Amino acid sequence: MTRSWTDLDDFQNFIDGGGIVEAVDDMPDDYRAEVFRFIEFHANSELMGGLTERDWIPRAPGVRLKQIFLAKTQDEIGHAHLLYQVAADMGFKDRTQMLEELFDGRSRFHNVFHYQAVTWADQIAIAYLVDAAAFASQRAVFAECTYGPYKRVLKRIISEEGFHMRHGEEMLLRLTEGTETQREMFQAALDRWWWPAVHLFGPDSDPNDPLLRWKIKSQPNEQLRHAYIQKYVPLLQSYGFRIPDDNLHYDDTFDGGKGAWLTSDIDWEPLKATMRQGGPDSRRRISNAAANYADTAWVREALQRTGAAA
Amino acid sequence: MNSRTLTDRATLEAVQFAVASVHDPEYPGVSIAELGLVETVRVEDSEATIDLIPTYGGCPALDFIARDVRNAVMATQAVTACTITWLRAPIWTPDRVTGDVRRFLESEFTVTLRRSDGSLVCPVCGSGTVRDTAPMGPSRCRSLAYCDDCRNPVEVMR
Repeated sequence: MTRSWTDLDDFQNFIDGGGIVEAVDDMPDDYRAEVFRFIEFHANSELMGGLTERDWIPRAPGVRLKQIFLAKTQDEIGHAHLLYQVAADMGFKDRTQMLEELFDGRSRFHNVFHYQAVTWADQIAIAYLVDAAAFASQRAVFAECTYGPYKRVLKRIISEEGFHMRHGEEMLLRLTEGTETQREMFQAALDRWWWPAVHLFGPDSDPNDPLLRWKIKSQPNEQLRHAYIQKYVPLLQSYGFRIPDDNLHYDDTFDGGKGAWLTSDIDWEPLKATMRQGGPDSRRRISNAAANYADTAWVREALQRTGAAA
Repeated sequence: MNSRTLTDRATLEAVQFAVASVHDPEYPGVSIAELGLVETVRVEDSEATIDLIPTYGGCPALDFIARDVRNAVMATQAVTACTITWLRAPIWTPDRVTGDVRRFLESEFTVTLRRSDGSLVCPVCGSGTVRDTAPMGPSRCRSLAYCDDCRNPVEVMR
Protein backbone atom coordinates (compact mmCIF):
# COMPACT_ATOMS: atom_id res chain seq x y z
CA MET A 1 0.00 0.00 0.00
CA THR A 2 1.46 3.33 -1.06
CA ARG A 3 0.97 6.16 1.35
CA SER A 4 1.33 9.83 0.46
CA TRP A 5 1.24 13.13 2.29
CA THR A 6 -0.45 16.38 1.27
CA ASP A 7 2.56 18.59 2.12
CA LEU A 8 5.73 18.74 4.23
CA ASP A 9 3.75 19.70 7.36
CA ASP A 10 1.55 16.66 6.95
CA PHE A 11 4.70 14.53 6.50
CA GLN A 12 6.33 16.11 9.56
CA ASN A 13 3.27 15.23 11.66
CA PHE A 14 3.59 11.65 10.49
CA ILE A 15 7.29 11.60 11.44
CA ASP A 16 6.67 13.29 14.81
CA GLY A 17 3.95 10.75 15.54
CA GLY A 18 6.52 7.94 15.27
CA GLY A 19 5.75 7.01 11.65
CA ILE A 20 8.12 4.84 9.60
CA VAL A 21 8.44 5.52 5.86
CA GLU A 22 8.58 2.49 3.55
CA ALA A 23 10.21 2.16 0.13
CA VAL A 24 6.84 1.91 -1.61
CA ASP A 25 5.56 5.18 -0.08
CA ASP A 26 5.26 8.39 -2.05
CA MET A 27 7.67 10.27 0.21
CA PRO A 28 8.57 13.96 -0.22
CA ASP A 29 11.38 14.52 -2.77
CA ASP A 30 13.62 16.29 -0.25
CA TYR A 31 13.31 13.44 2.24
CA ARG A 32 14.12 10.91 -0.46
CA ALA A 33 17.17 12.90 -1.57
CA GLU A 34 18.55 13.49 1.94
CA VAL A 35 18.06 9.90 3.05
CA PHE A 36 19.61 8.63 -0.18
CA ARG A 37 22.72 10.80 0.31
CA PHE A 38 23.07 9.57 3.88
CA ILE A 39 22.75 5.88 2.98
CA GLU A 40 25.10 6.20 -0.01
CA PHE A 41 27.72 7.75 2.30
CA HIS A 42 27.24 4.90 4.76
CA ALA A 43 27.46 2.26 2.00
CA ASN A 44 30.67 3.82 0.61
CA SER A 45 32.15 3.85 4.10
CA GLU A 46 31.37 0.18 4.74
CA LEU A 47 32.96 -0.76 1.43
CA MET A 48 36.11 1.32 1.96
CA GLY A 49 36.32 -0.02 5.53
CA GLY A 50 35.99 -3.60 4.34
CA LEU A 51 38.77 -3.15 1.80
CA THR A 52 41.00 -1.81 4.57
CA GLU A 53 40.33 -4.82 6.78
CA ARG A 54 41.12 -7.04 3.81
CA ASP A 55 44.56 -5.47 3.38
CA TRP A 56 45.45 -6.68 6.87
CA ILE A 57 44.37 -10.33 6.54
CA PRO A 58 47.83 -11.49 5.37
CA ARG A 59 49.55 -9.38 8.02
CA ALA A 60 47.34 -10.33 10.99
CA PRO A 61 49.51 -12.23 13.49
CA GLY A 62 48.20 -15.79 13.78
CA VAL A 63 45.50 -17.93 12.24
CA ARG A 64 42.82 -16.86 14.68
CA LEU A 65 43.29 -13.15 13.96
CA LYS A 66 43.37 -13.87 10.22
CA GLN A 67 40.05 -15.65 10.61
CA ILE A 68 38.64 -12.66 12.50
CA PHE A 69 39.84 -10.21 9.83
CA LEU A 70 38.41 -12.41 7.08
CA ALA A 71 35.07 -12.42 8.86
CA LYS A 72 35.14 -8.67 9.50
CA THR A 73 35.92 -8.07 5.83
CA GLN A 74 32.95 -10.19 4.81
CA ASP A 75 30.77 -8.34 7.32
CA GLU A 76 31.66 -4.89 5.97
CA ILE A 77 31.35 -5.88 2.31
CA GLY A 78 28.02 -7.56 3.11
CA HIS A 79 26.81 -4.41 4.88
CA ALA A 80 27.86 -2.33 1.87
CA HIS A 81 25.96 -4.71 -0.41
CA LEU A 82 22.75 -4.34 1.65
CA LEU A 83 23.10 -0.58 1.92
CA TYR A 84 23.77 -0.11 -1.82
CA GLN A 85 20.61 -2.11 -2.47
CA VAL A 86 18.54 0.14 -0.18
CA ALA A 87 20.15 3.25 -1.73
CA ALA A 88 19.69 2.06 -5.33
CA ASP A 89 16.05 1.33 -4.60
CA MET A 90 15.48 5.02 -3.89
CA GLY A 91 15.75 5.69 -7.61
CA PHE A 92 18.59 8.20 -7.99
CA LYS A 93 21.53 5.99 -8.99
CA ASP A 94 22.00 2.29 -9.51
CA ARG A 95 24.74 0.39 -7.72
CA THR A 96 27.19 0.45 -10.62
CA GLN A 97 26.91 4.22 -10.86
CA MET A 98 27.50 4.64 -7.13
CA LEU A 99 30.55 2.39 -7.26
CA GLU A 100 31.99 4.11 -10.33
CA GLU A 101 31.60 7.53 -8.75
CA LEU A 102 33.28 6.27 -5.59
CA PHE A 103 36.25 4.82 -7.48
CA ASP A 104 36.48 7.98 -9.58
CA GLY A 105 36.95 10.01 -6.39
CA ARG A 106 33.65 11.83 -6.87
CA SER A 107 31.89 10.41 -3.83
CA ARG A 108 32.29 10.83 -0.09
CA PHE A 109 33.00 8.31 2.64
CA HIS A 110 33.99 8.43 6.32
CA ASN A 111 37.09 10.49 7.14
CA VAL A 112 38.77 7.61 8.98
CA PHE A 113 39.26 5.71 5.73
CA HIS A 114 41.39 8.53 4.34
CA TYR A 115 44.31 7.74 6.67
CA GLN A 116 46.97 5.08 6.50
CA ALA A 117 47.26 2.28 9.04
CA VAL A 118 51.02 2.09 9.63
CA THR A 119 51.47 -0.83 12.05
CA TRP A 120 49.38 -3.66 13.47
CA ALA A 121 48.73 -1.40 16.48
CA ASP A 122 46.90 0.98 14.12
CA GLN A 123 44.56 -1.86 13.28
CA ILE A 124 43.90 -2.29 16.99
CA ALA A 125 43.35 1.44 17.46
CA ILE A 126 40.90 1.29 14.56
CA ALA A 127 39.06 -1.73 15.98
CA TYR A 128 38.97 -0.24 19.46
CA LEU A 129 38.46 3.48 18.83
CA VAL A 130 37.18 4.00 15.31
CA ASP A 131 34.77 1.06 15.25
CA ALA A 132 33.41 2.30 18.58
CA ALA A 133 32.84 5.78 17.16
CA ALA A 134 31.11 4.34 14.09
CA PHE A 135 29.08 2.03 16.32
CA ALA A 136 27.93 4.95 18.52
CA SER A 137 26.87 6.99 15.52
CA GLN A 138 25.06 4.04 13.88
CA ARG A 139 23.24 3.23 17.11
CA ALA A 140 22.07 6.84 17.32
CA VAL A 141 20.70 6.57 13.79
CA PHE A 142 19.01 3.25 14.53
CA ALA A 143 17.39 4.72 17.68
CA GLU A 144 14.83 6.58 15.55
CA CYS A 145 15.56 6.09 11.82
CA THR A 146 12.27 6.80 10.09
CA TYR A 147 13.23 5.03 6.85
CA GLY A 148 12.12 1.41 7.35
CA PRO A 149 14.42 -0.49 4.93
CA TYR A 150 17.48 1.34 6.31
CA LYS A 151 16.40 0.76 9.92
CA ARG A 152 16.11 -3.01 9.28
CA VAL A 153 19.59 -3.19 7.76
CA LEU A 154 20.99 -1.08 10.60
CA LYS A 155 19.60 -3.51 13.15
CA ARG A 156 21.81 -6.28 11.78
CA ILE A 157 24.77 -3.96 11.24
CA ILE A 158 24.82 -2.80 14.85
CA SER A 159 24.48 -6.37 16.15
CA GLU A 160 27.58 -7.28 14.16
CA GLU A 161 29.50 -4.14 15.05
CA GLY A 162 28.89 -4.93 18.72
CA PHE A 163 30.64 -8.21 18.09
CA HIS A 164 33.56 -6.39 16.36
CA MET A 165 33.97 -4.26 19.45
CA ARG A 166 34.56 -7.37 21.55
CA HIS A 167 37.40 -8.23 19.17
CA GLY A 168 38.79 -4.70 19.49
CA GLU A 169 38.78 -4.87 23.30
CA GLU A 170 40.36 -8.30 23.26
CA MET A 171 43.16 -7.20 20.92
CA LEU A 172 43.81 -4.05 22.96
CA LEU A 173 43.95 -5.98 26.24
CA ARG A 174 46.46 -8.37 24.74
CA LEU A 175 48.70 -5.51 23.64
CA THR A 176 48.45 -3.64 26.96
CA GLU A 177 49.62 -6.77 28.74
CA GLY A 178 52.55 -7.05 26.35
CA THR A 179 56.04 -5.59 26.24
CA GLU A 180 56.98 -1.94 26.56
CA THR A 181 57.55 -1.88 22.78
CA GLN A 182 54.00 -3.08 22.20
CA ARG A 183 52.61 -0.42 24.49
CA GLU A 184 54.67 2.22 22.68
CA MET A 185 53.30 0.94 19.38
CA PHE A 186 49.76 1.41 20.61
CA GLN A 187 50.53 4.88 21.99
CA ALA A 188 51.91 5.90 18.57
CA ALA A 189 48.78 4.51 16.90
CA LEU A 190 46.56 6.35 19.40
CA ASP A 191 48.42 9.57 18.56
CA ARG A 192 47.51 9.02 14.90
CA TRP A 193 43.89 7.90 15.37
CA TRP A 194 42.48 9.88 18.30
CA TRP A 195 41.56 12.99 16.35
CA PRO A 196 40.24 11.20 13.25
CA ALA A 197 37.99 9.15 15.58
CA VAL A 198 36.71 12.34 17.25
CA HIS A 199 36.23 13.94 13.82
CA LEU A 200 34.11 11.01 12.67
CA PHE A 201 31.11 12.47 14.51
CA GLY A 202 31.36 15.64 12.42
CA PRO A 203 31.21 19.31 13.42
CA ASP A 204 28.30 20.65 15.50
CA SER A 205 24.99 19.94 13.79
CA ASP A 206 23.06 22.73 12.15
CA PRO A 207 19.91 23.04 14.33
CA ASN A 208 17.93 23.04 11.07
CA ASP A 209 19.55 19.83 9.80
CA PRO A 210 16.71 18.07 7.94
CA LEU A 211 18.15 14.69 8.99
CA LEU A 212 17.41 15.62 12.62
CA ARG A 213 13.97 17.02 11.76
CA TRP A 214 13.05 13.88 9.85
CA LYS A 215 14.53 11.67 12.55
CA ILE A 216 17.16 9.90 10.53
CA LYS A 217 19.60 11.19 13.14
CA SER A 218 18.31 11.02 16.71
CA GLN A 219 20.97 13.25 18.28
CA PRO A 220 23.07 16.18 17.07
CA ASN A 221 26.72 15.40 16.25
CA GLU A 222 28.09 17.36 19.22
CA GLN A 223 26.11 15.29 21.75
CA LEU A 224 27.40 12.01 20.36
CA ARG A 225 30.96 13.32 20.18
CA HIS A 226 30.77 14.58 23.78
CA ALA A 227 29.46 11.22 25.07
CA TYR A 228 32.22 9.38 23.18
CA ILE A 229 34.95 11.57 24.69
CA GLN A 230 33.51 11.05 28.19
CA LYS A 231 33.67 7.29 27.75
CA TYR A 232 37.01 6.82 25.98
CA VAL A 233 39.24 9.35 27.76
CA PRO A 234 39.02 7.59 31.14
CA LEU A 235 39.15 4.12 29.54
CA LEU A 236 42.35 4.84 27.60
CA GLN A 237 43.89 6.56 30.61
CA SER A 238 43.05 3.58 32.81
CA TYR A 239 45.14 1.40 30.47
CA GLY A 240 47.98 3.88 30.95
CA PHE A 241 47.82 5.64 27.58
CA ARG A 242 48.04 9.35 26.90
CA ILE A 243 45.43 11.23 24.85
CA PRO A 244 47.27 13.40 22.29
CA ASP A 245 45.72 16.69 23.44
CA ASP A 246 47.70 19.04 25.70
CA ASN A 247 44.60 21.00 26.65
CA LEU A 248 42.50 18.01 27.62
CA HIS A 249 41.20 18.53 31.16
CA TYR A 250 38.37 17.58 33.47
CA ASP A 251 36.06 20.49 34.26
CA ASP A 252 34.14 19.92 37.52
CA THR A 253 31.86 22.85 36.85
CA PHE A 254 30.66 21.67 33.43
CA ASP A 255 26.89 21.43 33.03
CA GLY A 256 26.00 22.81 36.47
CA GLY A 257 28.55 20.73 38.36
CA LYS A 258 28.07 17.39 36.58
CA GLY A 259 31.62 17.63 35.26
CA ALA A 260 33.08 16.52 31.94
CA TRP A 261 36.27 15.94 29.98
CA LEU A 262 36.87 18.89 27.69
CA THR A 263 39.22 18.85 24.71
CA SER A 264 41.07 21.58 22.84
CA ASP A 265 39.08 23.51 20.27
CA ILE A 266 38.70 21.01 17.47
CA ASP A 267 40.45 21.79 14.19
CA TRP A 268 38.02 20.68 11.49
CA GLU A 269 40.34 21.31 8.54
CA PRO A 270 41.57 17.68 8.37
CA LEU A 271 37.95 16.48 8.20
CA LYS A 272 37.09 18.95 5.44
CA ALA A 273 40.15 17.81 3.48
CA THR A 274 38.95 14.18 3.58
CA MET A 275 35.56 15.24 2.22
CA ARG A 276 37.42 16.63 -0.83
CA GLN A 277 39.43 13.37 -1.15
CA GLY A 278 42.41 15.39 0.13
CA GLY A 279 43.24 13.27 3.18
CA PRO A 280 46.75 11.87 3.76
CA ASP A 281 45.90 8.50 2.19
CA SER A 282 42.84 9.32 0.06
CA ARG A 283 44.43 8.86 -3.34
CA ARG A 284 46.02 5.51 -2.57
CA ARG A 285 42.85 4.18 -0.92
CA ILE A 286 40.62 5.18 -3.79
CA SER A 287 42.96 3.87 -6.48
CA ASN A 288 43.35 0.56 -4.61
CA ALA A 289 39.58 0.24 -4.41
CA ALA A 290 39.25 1.03 -8.11
CA ALA A 291 41.94 -1.54 -9.00
CA ASN A 292 40.15 -4.13 -6.88
CA TYR A 293 36.88 -3.41 -8.70
CA ALA A 294 38.60 -3.84 -12.06
CA ASP A 295 40.34 -7.05 -10.94
CA THR A 296 37.04 -8.61 -9.87
CA ALA A 297 35.08 -7.71 -13.01
CA TRP A 298 35.39 -11.32 -14.20
CA VAL A 299 33.56 -12.55 -11.07
CA ARG A 300 30.58 -10.30 -11.73
CA GLU A 301 30.59 -11.32 -15.38
CA ALA A 302 30.81 -15.03 -14.55
CA LEU A 303 27.92 -14.77 -12.07
CA GLN A 304 25.79 -12.99 -14.64
CA ARG A 305 26.56 -15.53 -17.37
CA THR A 306 25.76 -18.52 -15.21
CA GLY A 307 22.48 -16.87 -14.30
CA ALA A 308 23.40 -16.86 -10.63
CA ALA A 309 22.42 -13.79 -8.67
CA ALA A 310 25.19 -11.21 -8.69
CA MET B 1 15.46 -43.18 43.23
CA ASN B 2 18.10 -42.23 45.77
CA SER B 3 19.13 -38.71 46.73
CA ARG B 4 22.31 -38.90 44.66
CA THR B 5 20.31 -39.34 41.46
CA LEU B 6 18.16 -36.35 42.32
CA THR B 7 21.22 -34.20 42.92
CA ASP B 8 22.72 -35.36 39.64
CA ARG B 9 19.56 -34.42 37.84
CA ALA B 10 19.48 -31.00 39.49
CA THR B 11 23.11 -30.44 38.49
CA LEU B 12 22.45 -31.45 34.90
CA GLU B 13 19.45 -29.17 34.71
CA ALA B 14 21.44 -26.26 36.14
CA VAL B 15 24.16 -26.83 33.51
CA GLN B 16 21.63 -27.20 30.69
CA PHE B 17 19.93 -24.00 31.79
CA ALA B 18 23.28 -22.17 31.89
CA VAL B 19 24.18 -23.34 28.37
CA ALA B 20 20.79 -22.27 27.00
CA SER B 21 21.18 -18.85 28.63
CA VAL B 22 24.09 -18.02 26.29
CA HIS B 23 23.07 -15.76 23.41
CA ASP B 24 24.51 -15.80 19.94
CA PRO B 25 26.94 -12.84 19.68
CA GLU B 26 25.37 -11.74 16.39
CA TYR B 27 21.74 -12.15 17.46
CA PRO B 28 21.28 -10.60 20.90
CA GLY B 29 18.15 -12.17 22.42
CA VAL B 30 18.58 -15.52 20.66
CA SER B 31 19.87 -18.50 22.66
CA ILE B 32 22.47 -20.77 21.07
CA ALA B 33 20.17 -23.67 22.06
CA GLU B 34 17.32 -22.20 20.01
CA LEU B 35 19.67 -21.86 17.02
CA GLY B 36 20.42 -25.57 17.32
CA LEU B 37 24.10 -25.19 18.24
CA VAL B 38 23.88 -27.42 21.33
CA GLU B 39 24.17 -31.13 20.60
CA THR B 40 24.73 -32.70 24.03
CA VAL B 41 25.20 -31.66 27.62
CA ARG B 42 26.50 -34.30 30.06
CA VAL B 43 27.59 -34.20 33.67
CA GLU B 44 29.72 -36.92 35.23
CA ASP B 45 31.59 -36.74 38.53
CA SER B 46 30.95 -32.98 38.76
CA GLU B 47 32.47 -32.41 35.34
CA ALA B 48 30.42 -30.98 32.49
CA THR B 49 31.02 -32.08 28.91
CA ILE B 50 29.33 -29.95 26.27
CA ASP B 51 29.28 -30.70 22.56
CA LEU B 52 28.42 -27.81 20.27
CA ILE B 53 27.81 -27.62 16.52
CA PRO B 54 29.02 -24.59 14.52
CA THR B 55 26.78 -23.16 11.80
CA TYR B 56 29.96 -22.92 9.71
CA GLY B 57 33.43 -24.20 10.54
CA GLY B 58 35.06 -20.84 9.81
CA CYS B 59 32.68 -18.85 12.00
CA PRO B 60 34.71 -16.23 13.91
CA ALA B 61 32.31 -16.31 16.85
CA LEU B 62 33.17 -19.86 17.95
CA ASP B 63 35.77 -18.82 20.53
CA PHE B 64 33.46 -16.22 22.04
CA ILE B 65 30.56 -18.64 22.21
CA ALA B 66 32.71 -21.32 23.87
CA ARG B 67 34.01 -18.80 26.38
CA ASP B 68 30.50 -17.53 27.16
CA VAL B 69 29.30 -21.13 27.64
CA ARG B 70 32.19 -21.93 29.95
CA ASN B 71 31.63 -18.77 32.01
CA ALA B 72 27.89 -19.47 32.31
CA VAL B 73 28.43 -23.11 33.31
CA MET B 74 31.17 -22.38 35.85
CA ALA B 75 29.07 -19.54 37.34
CA THR B 76 26.44 -22.10 38.40
CA GLN B 77 29.07 -23.60 40.77
CA ALA B 78 27.33 -26.91 40.11
CA VAL B 79 30.40 -28.46 38.46
CA THR B 80 34.15 -28.29 38.98
CA ALA B 81 35.19 -28.51 35.33
CA CYS B 82 33.75 -27.88 31.91
CA THR B 83 34.96 -29.32 28.59
CA ILE B 84 33.60 -27.80 25.41
CA THR B 85 34.03 -29.39 22.00
CA TRP B 86 32.97 -28.10 18.59
CA LEU B 87 31.81 -31.18 16.67
CA ARG B 88 32.50 -31.77 12.99
CA ALA B 89 29.40 -33.93 12.69
CA PRO B 90 26.46 -33.79 12.57
CA ILE B 91 26.48 -30.74 10.34
CA TRP B 92 24.33 -27.76 11.27
CA THR B 93 21.34 -27.13 9.02
CA PRO B 94 18.61 -24.47 9.25
CA ASP B 95 16.22 -27.27 10.35
CA ARG B 96 17.89 -27.14 13.75
CA VAL B 97 16.47 -23.65 14.43
CA THR B 98 13.36 -23.88 16.59
CA GLY B 99 10.03 -22.47 15.47
CA ASP B 100 9.67 -19.62 17.96
CA VAL B 101 13.10 -18.27 17.27
CA ARG B 102 12.45 -18.31 13.52
CA ARG B 103 9.69 -15.79 14.08
CA PHE B 104 11.96 -13.73 16.33
CA LEU B 105 14.75 -13.70 13.72
CA GLU B 106 12.22 -12.56 11.13
CA SER B 107 10.67 -9.76 13.15
CA GLU B 108 13.81 -8.52 14.91
CA PHE B 109 16.55 -9.08 12.34
CA THR B 110 14.76 -9.46 8.96
CA VAL B 111 16.54 -12.80 8.73
CA THR B 112 14.56 -15.71 7.37
CA LEU B 113 15.00 -19.43 6.65
CA ARG B 114 14.10 -21.26 3.48
CA ARG B 115 10.94 -23.37 3.65
CA SER B 116 11.23 -27.10 3.14
CA ASP B 117 10.33 -26.73 -0.57
CA GLY B 118 13.16 -24.19 -1.00
CA SER B 119 10.92 -21.16 -1.27
CA LEU B 120 11.29 -17.88 0.59
CA VAL B 121 8.65 -15.75 2.26
CA CYS B 122 9.33 -12.09 2.99
CA PRO B 123 9.77 -11.58 6.76
CA VAL B 124 8.59 -7.97 6.38
CA CYS B 125 5.41 -8.20 4.28
CA GLY B 126 4.74 -11.94 3.96
CA SER B 127 4.94 -11.88 0.18
CA GLY B 128 6.28 -14.84 -1.76
CA THR B 129 8.10 -12.68 -4.33
CA VAL B 130 11.49 -12.88 -2.66
CA ARG B 131 14.42 -13.50 -4.99
CA ASP B 132 18.01 -14.44 -4.16
CA THR B 133 20.46 -11.63 -4.91
CA ALA B 134 23.85 -12.79 -3.62
CA PRO B 135 25.19 -16.12 -2.37
CA MET B 136 27.37 -14.33 0.20
CA GLY B 137 25.92 -12.11 2.91
CA PRO B 138 27.69 -10.36 5.78
CA SER B 139 28.45 -13.69 7.44
CA ARG B 140 29.18 -17.25 6.36
CA CYS B 141 25.78 -18.45 7.55
CA ARG B 142 23.71 -15.93 5.57
CA SER B 143 22.96 -15.17 1.90
CA LEU B 144 21.14 -12.13 0.52
CA ALA B 145 17.70 -11.83 -1.02
CA TYR B 146 15.32 -9.03 -1.91
CA CYS B 147 11.54 -8.67 -1.73
CA ASP B 148 10.09 -7.16 -4.91
CA ASP B 149 6.82 -6.34 -3.14
CA CYS B 150 7.88 -4.26 -0.13
CA ARG B 151 11.39 -3.62 -1.57
CA ASN B 152 13.36 -4.65 1.49
CA PRO B 153 16.67 -6.54 1.44
CA VAL B 154 16.31 -9.81 3.33
CA GLU B 155 18.98 -12.14 4.72
CA VAL B 156 18.63 -15.89 4.59
CA MET B 157 20.21 -18.27 7.11
CA ARG B 158 21.64 -21.15 5.18
